[in-house]
Amino acid sequence: MEDFRFKKSWLSALVLLTFLVLAACSSDEEGGASEEGEAAEDPDTITAWAWDPNFNIAALETAKESYDGDVELDVIENAQDDIVSKLNTGLSSGTMKGMPNIVLIEDQRAQSFLQSYPEAFFPIDDYINPEDFASYKLAPTSLDDKQYGLPFDTGVTGLFFRTDYLEEAGYTMEDLTDITWEEYIEIGQDVKETTGKDMISLDPNDLGLIRVMIQSAGAWYVDEEGTNVNIEGNEPLRKAFENYKAMMEADFVKANSDWSQFIASFNSGDVATVPSGNWIGASIEAEESQAGDWAVAPIPRLDMEGAVNASNQGGSSFYVLNVPGKEKAAEFLGQTFGENEEFYQDLVNDVGAIGTYTPASDGEAYQTENEFFGGQSLISDFSTWVEDIPSVNYGMHTYSIEDILAAEMQNYLKGKSLDDAFADAQAQAEAQLK
Amino acid sequence: MSKVVNRAGSPYLERNKSFGRWYRKNYIGWLFILLAVAGISLFYFYPMGRALLLSFQSGMGSNLEYVGLNNYIRLFSDPTFIAALTNTFIYLLIQVPIMILLALFFSVLLNDATLKFKGFFRTAIFLPCVTSLVAYAVIFKYLFGVDGLINQFLMDLSLISQPLNWLSDPVLAKITIIAAITWRWTGYNMIFYLSALQNIDRSMYEAARIDGATSFQQFFYITVPMLKPIILFTSIISTIGTLQIFDEIMNITNGGPGNATLSISMYIYNLSFEYSPDFGYAATVSYVIVILVVILSLIQFKVAGDDK
Repeated sequence: MEDFRFKKSWLSALVLLTFLVLAACSSDEEGGASEEGEAAEDPDTITAWAWDPNFNIAALETAKESYDGDVELDVIENAQDDIVSKLNTGLSSGTMKGMPNIVLIEDQRAQSFLQSYPEAFFPIDDYINPEDFASYKLAPTSLDDKQYGLPFDTGVTGLFFRTDYLEEAGYTMEDLTDITWEEYIEIGQDVKETTGKDMISLDPNDLGLIRVMIQSAGAWYVDEEGTNVNIEGNEPLRKAFENYKAMMEADFVKANSDWSQFIASFNSGDVATVPSGNWIGASIEAEESQAGDWAVAPIPRLDMEGAVNASNQGGSSFYVLNVPGKEKAAEFLGQTFGENEEFYQDLVNDVGAIGTYTPASDGEAYQTENEFFGGQSLISDFSTWVEDIPSVNYGMHTYSIEDILAAEMQNYLKGKSLDDAFADAQAQAEAQLK
Repeated sequence: MSKVVNRAGSPYLERNKSFGRWYRKNYIGWLFILLAVAGISLFYFYPMGRALLLSFQSGMGSNLEYVGLNNYIRLFSDPTFIAALTNTFIYLLIQVPIMILLALFFSVLLNDATLKFKGFFRTAIFLPCVTSLVAYAVIFKYLFGVDGLINQFLMDLSLISQPLNWLSDPVLAKITIIAAITWRWTGYNMIFYLSALQNIDRSMYEAARIDGATSFQQFFYITVPMLKPIILFTSIISTIGTLQIFDEIMNITNGGPGNATLSISMYIYNLSFEYSPDFGYAATVSYVIVILVVILSLIQFKVAGDDK
């Protein structure tokens, strides 16, 4: 009995100890966090999250080289999806621990973050002059008159085309300049007839091209305030859907179902044109055997009043998170991306990234002729088109509305009337975004 | 607990029936499981409770507020959720029976004493289970691409004249997903049946053969009844797995075309990470899976008639 009692007390002691250790651990963690919050007010190293080592990460590295301040920048590569989910889980948990100082966010997602986590981001009005940047970049990157994002790359679109195929079908650069999507479809039919090549590669599940079309007419899935769903009665969207269906039915679309198949469609020489954001240029140039066969025309426009031959696809901006080191991070961004024209020349030459900082576009690097594109001054052309891009308010629900629209697009392609499809999509989106 | 101790037949306990004595005697047992109980409560039940609370809230990101049952009401008028639920049930109703039957079929074949290269075939069928979910999903995506191997194979056999758009046709995309899951999980279920088959006494088959039972009769009157608990187990596991299906859909079709292959888990992911985050509503949708798993498992227990 004596022996047993000893064992018992020994065990209770063990359990007690375990709890103490567990409790100590957790309180230790809290202590650590608050300690860090006070002591590490001004860390020497700031961290940044970005996703493309050949593009935005390279841009950050170039910025680091051109920056004189005494700060270590640690750029961490994360897939874009991972950044989105890490930010969402991290910020919603209420703790800023483990969050970077600088993070790159796609423009179409930015409002959702800014509005969902109001305290998490640090306004950078004091560090940059927003008016130096292309105006269409400001609406998605600011909230309540405060500038949160530092506009980075432009997604200005162009119609990349194979000069040899188009010539065979009897078209020159001039015939492709400032055309409408209807004209584009006619040309596509000619190209298919004469060369046997498809005009375009599309992923039926990706409405990226629809977004390009409607932004060229200054419209979006939501109204100007960015809050009300704008599908029913959205004339540009209706035209875009009609064009999309006309393309699908014109038998010149090479279907793809993911990014690598999309890239393969033009690298293999199977399609004649790629209407896309300028960033696709790098992938087109990757196929060196096609050097000299490509040129870029302005993106076609919707056949309606107010539509221009300039639009945007993609593009992202840098945000400073409200964590220790925010001033340093904002200073770093402000003195590189925010005002250094020379840096923007390096950015063009070394990385091939076209920023949206307008004073930089007079620089020398912007005038360089691109041999791959038959000597066209590509960067200069793109930066001219940047200025024409209509500014739209993306709001915060682009992707949820797009999924609804993608489903209705399938119905529309199968024969549902556009009126019904839009009415259903409108109702569904409104119900979802209440 | 008391049942276990009683069965052990401790004479000490028989003599002291008072609760106090019993409790003190079992105190040490409780101590042993205390850590596990604390761990499970902390990392399992506590999050479940929090998720339940979360499911009564709504709002973007961290701006959550209590909305009562609104989230649950919203489910019924949310066409995307209904589409996801329908798709998941289509997978469930078509895929699970196919897979269970295939697994049974293979395991009986592979259990045949006269079969040669048994080890090879068993490994071959089980091998899909050790592949990474993402890796195999990506391979299936390419197999079923427009220029993929499946299309080429069917064209070479002259079964089709034009490549099929497997991934962008609503029905074909579902077939692709079902084919993929079946390939991945049949071997897994087969292993359960194989090990259960080893436990069936061979003398029963012998006796049946002497009584003149055919192979079919042996299968339906000996094998299936003997495997019943395992069949029940695998169908519950598969049901739960299918209700949670995510990786394949994310990687092969990304829910498309439109919503044609969207599953409930994928919708939860979209609500939390793709769209403006609404963790409250996402938690509500997760609880639907919990409720469905409970209901379906109860039905399966009832149907299988396990009245113990």
